Amino acid sequence: MVVVYTIYIFDRHCECIFYTEWNRGRSPLSADRSAATAVGGRPEGSKEPANTAHAVDGTGTHLSGDSQRPLVWPTTATSTAHRVSPESPRNIAMEEEAKLVYGVAFSTRNIINKLNSKDGPQGGNPGGFMSFATNTYRLHYYESPTGVKFILTTDIATASMQPVLEMIYRNIYVEYVVKNPLFNVDPLASSPIENDYFRAVLNNYIREISSTTTIA
Amino acid sequence: MARTSLERCSGFSATAEVIAKIGFKLFLNVVPTVTNWSADAKEFSLILDDNPLNDFCELPPKAVTDGLWYSNVLCGVIRGALEMMQMQTEVVYVRDVLRGDDVSEIRVKLVRMLDEEVPASDD
Repeated sequence: MVVVYTIYIFDRHCECIFYTEWNRGRSPLSADRSAATAVGGRPEGSKEPANTAHAVDGTGTHLSGDSQRPLVWPTTATSTAHRVSPESPRNIAMEEEAKLVYGVAFSTRNIINKLNSKDGPQGGNPGGFMSFATNTYRLHYYESPTGVKFILTTDIATASMQPVLEMIYRNIYVEYVVKNPLFNVDPLASSPIENDYFRAVLNNYIREISSTTTIA
Repeated sequence: MARTSLERCSGFSATAEVIAKIGFKLFLNVVPTVTNWSADAKEFSLILDDNPLNDFCELPPKAVTDGLWYSNVLCGVIRGALEMMQMQTEVVYVRDVLRGDDVSEIRVKLVRMLDEEVPASDD
């Protein structure tokens, strides 16, 4: 029984362009419930004030105050297909958490590449970093040849989600995001995925995976 | 590329082969030949005998004299795709069947390999 907790998608500019959680309220990631900050479970509500002050591209420049960055995180106001459950409190803000997750995956991948003496400034995943596990969850990593990173957290019993992640990349991301003429692939800035089809297909796929797969 | 699920190319020459044999074949169903490697192996030419985009096309004389390259979109496609793979290139059309040459030739030049982006530091 595969239990998928969350998915993060990062693009080539190290920005989180997509995030969804499924069973987070029951997941060990939010174990410290007493530290929940906001009443609704989400610090800073819709994250709008925080967004305008954060860097857009990798060089660390700041957005001008009026241009609002589109939201990545599903809030109860914007997302209809998927709501963040109020019982999933967090200890840190969503953007910080995404940065931490990215940093962990990025650094681990670099270490593995260095140890394999396949490290190079071009990135990629020649060392083959696939997943790591803590005593509460397992994090799976997949990097596409173009530098788009897919991170999935599941329960520990799940052995390998590499084929799943590849399927998500090839059949869902490429089909619904890359091939969407309205999705702006800016060479400098990032934009989050605001595609309802993508979200729906991904939800269906993960639900299918969670109910039918038995990992020996 | 997602469809073929290939590994990263070992070097630029491997990239040339992949573009010609797999990329062109997948989308246009023609296989151009890779020739004219420069001395430092950073440039090569793709020779296309028949370009399916040109099949039903004729250029008026004014377009030829004004310098129109009909399938220049292919150059953009190659350059864009290689930039996604961290290679900055310059791709130009050298000869074109529609302008009276016998074959179409696209010259691909590797300018530099791009580095992956590192996340902004918090200090």
